Amino acid sequence: MNSVGEECIELKQTYDSCFNKWFADKFLKGLAEEDKDCSNIFTAYQSCVKKALKSQNISLAEVEKDVLGTSEENQPPNSS
Amino acid sequence: MKIWTSEHIFSHPWETVTQAVWRKYPNPHNPAVVGTDVVERQVVNGVLHTHRLISSRWGLPSWAQTILGADRVCYGYEHSEVNPEEKTMTMRTRNLTFSSTVSMDERMVYSPDPTDCEKTILRQETIITVKGVPLTSYMEDYLLNSISTNSFKVEELMSTYKRSTTEIFSHTKRSFGEITESALRSVDDISLVAMKSVDEISDAAKKSIDDLSCAAKKGIDSFTQPAGSMPRI
Repeated sequence: MNSVGEECIELKQTYDSCFNKWFADKFLKGLAEEDKDCSNIFTAYQSCVKKALKSQNISLAEVEKDVLGTSEENQPPNSS
Repeated sequence: MKIWTSEHIFSHPWETVTQAVWRKYPNPHNPAVVGTDVVERQVVNGVLHTHRLISSRWGLPSWAQTILGADRVCYGYEHSEVNPEEKTMTMRTRNLTFSSTVSMDERMVYSPDPTDCEKTILRQETIITVKGVPLTSYMEDYLLNSISTNSFKVEELMSTYKRSTTEIFSHTKRSFGEITESALRSVDDISLVAMKSVDEISDAAKKSIDDLSCAAKKGIDSFTQPAGSMPRI
């Protein structure tokens, strides 16, 4: 599975393996409140992803905004 | 606006299914998804909150590209919550790309089957709204239908969660079948309306042509009047 930033793929795969193990062995069994096992690799992966989002101009703030039904909704072309 | 809902039961316990959900991609039944990235994750009061960016490439046909824009990588934003005490996993995915024209909102809830604790129920709801472009209803049907054109080959997966993952994949295939049926019905309705419109346009065009013929004839008649009535240039 790819990442939004090609340079982040390796970090992503390492993090995903770590998370899947923590999720199955600890979180689901109620043994861990926080994912301390994977925090270092997660920090490195996060920073890579945020850089990739910035360089590709992907803004996540937009998802929290309602667009349809507001003045920002795409208007139908004028029929003339 | 088009709404599609479904309920599916997996023959595996909730703990197994939730682990398989994190491993859902890459998915041979949905090759459109090309990337997933965790942009935020934390445990708050024992509940795991995750925000993910989902990258997809839909393979839009040229007519849809003309209306919506080029067939580039599309992004969706997924927020999920896993509560291990209540045994619920909820996921909500919305589109980021084309958001001024299209709203796709998918909600999924995984919970243990109340009648059998070794099974898991998935309740799913997808809402698609298209505005501000031509053929909105057709576009909505197409978008719902487009995810049903993926590969339907079932492949054996070499992992501990092979069976539950396969079931998630084949559930997707069945759900897409239902969507296709509904989309086909909508397309039939649209065809009927289109045919009616074409008939009306033909009538109007015919009338205009008749009028034009009359006017042309009148013009020709007046042109062939005796020379004395021609204006002096």
